[in-house]
Amino acid sequence: MNAERHKTFINLKNIVSISRGDSGRMLKYLKQFQELIPERLEQLKDALAENDRRQIRQILHKMSPQLQFFGIQDVVNPIQRLEMEYESMPLFELNVLVNDLIYKLEGAISEVTKTIQTQFE
Amino acid sequence: MNNLKSTSNTITCVIVDDDPFIQELLKDKLNQYFPEINIVGLGNDGKEGIEKIIVLKPDLVFLDVEMTDMTGFEMLSRLASINFKTIFITSYKHYAIKAIRFNALDYLLKPFDLEELKNAIKRFKNNYNAIGSSYKVDIALNNIKTKNISDQVLSLKTQQGDLHLVLKDIISIEGDRNYSNIYLTGNRKELVSKTLSDLEDLLSNKGFFRCHKSHLISKNHIVELTNSFNILLSNGMKIPISRRKKEAFQGWLIKSNH
Repeated sequence: MNAERHKTFINLKNIVSISRGDSGRMLKYLKQFQELIPERLEQLKDALAENDRRQIRQILHKMSPQLQFFGIQDVVNPIQRLEMEYESMPLFELNVLVNDLIYKLEGAISEVTKTIQTQFE
Repeated sequence: MNNLKSTSNTITCVIVDDDPFIQELLKDKLNQYFPEINIVGLGNDGKEGIEKIIVLKPDLVFLDVEMTDMTGFEMLSRLASINFKTIFITSYKHYAIKAIRFNALDYLLKPFDLEELKNAIKRFKNNYNAIGSSYKVDIALNNIKTKNISDQVLSLKTQQGDLHLVLKDIISIEGDRNYSNIYLTGNRKELVSKTLSDLEDLLSNKGFFRCHKSHLISKNHIVELTNSFNILLSNGMKIPISRRKKEAFQGWLIKSNH
């Protein structure tokens, strides 16, 4: 996947708002993203490789609020579709949607890492 | 506020969710905007949630609908008594929200809009002494256990309080803009401030069919089809079937008789 397709993947507006300028609190949310999302991304890739639709739905369901909070573009609608149609959606379409999410998540993880390195270390 | 279990005016609260991000986020929002709420415990799954609730006896529980070890409803059903109010928390998921709405329970969508959180806390404070909330949870738990759909109870909020209707008692519902008239057995009628579409959404997989833009009918109360475009119901009402719904109605009737 080419992570250059998008200029930016995340929007820190919500984190700035909840942190009220407290950098320690901002870092807490960024580190938590760094801790939780890569692990879930690997689980998602494994579930896709095994065509395990139920597992795909569960992983996306769990990740969805954090992705929304990090303002990751255009993930809400595909996740909602995958949650509702995970049993019936044609495999090809499911692959396309999940792969697009994987691409965005990889971009977001890399951006979060860069933000921590450049602004907090 | 009176009669809270806590000694002062603080509200004790437990958060039960297996996602550490959600725990942190809700904790931060409650701490920042609701100083009167004291988070006394966090449950990382349903089992831990039960333990914390039993030991800490909170006034309020924020409860995830879908956890890895059990659902929020299963967790509640494992408690001997429910002496607290519950606000369900969920990501978007159609059937879970539908179950919560069917039982008129309070819920919040993750990752929590501040205004919605404020409204939910306000409702909690206003209703703390009302018996409604735990009663509604009991009804919801019974609905889950009930095998026969027509024995389930639909809960609706009205200006006069909560209305609880056994599905088998509902004959038909007539929409009137933002309101609906619910026709019940025993010549009873209730007016509720829900659109017919809202009610259709809650009842369409429970033996009800929208045969006309203004009418939703129960399969259990169809007496006969008087001609190809009219249905006679058990209370004597004749309900029209719109032309464009005729085929779908026949399909529904055949399907629901199997």
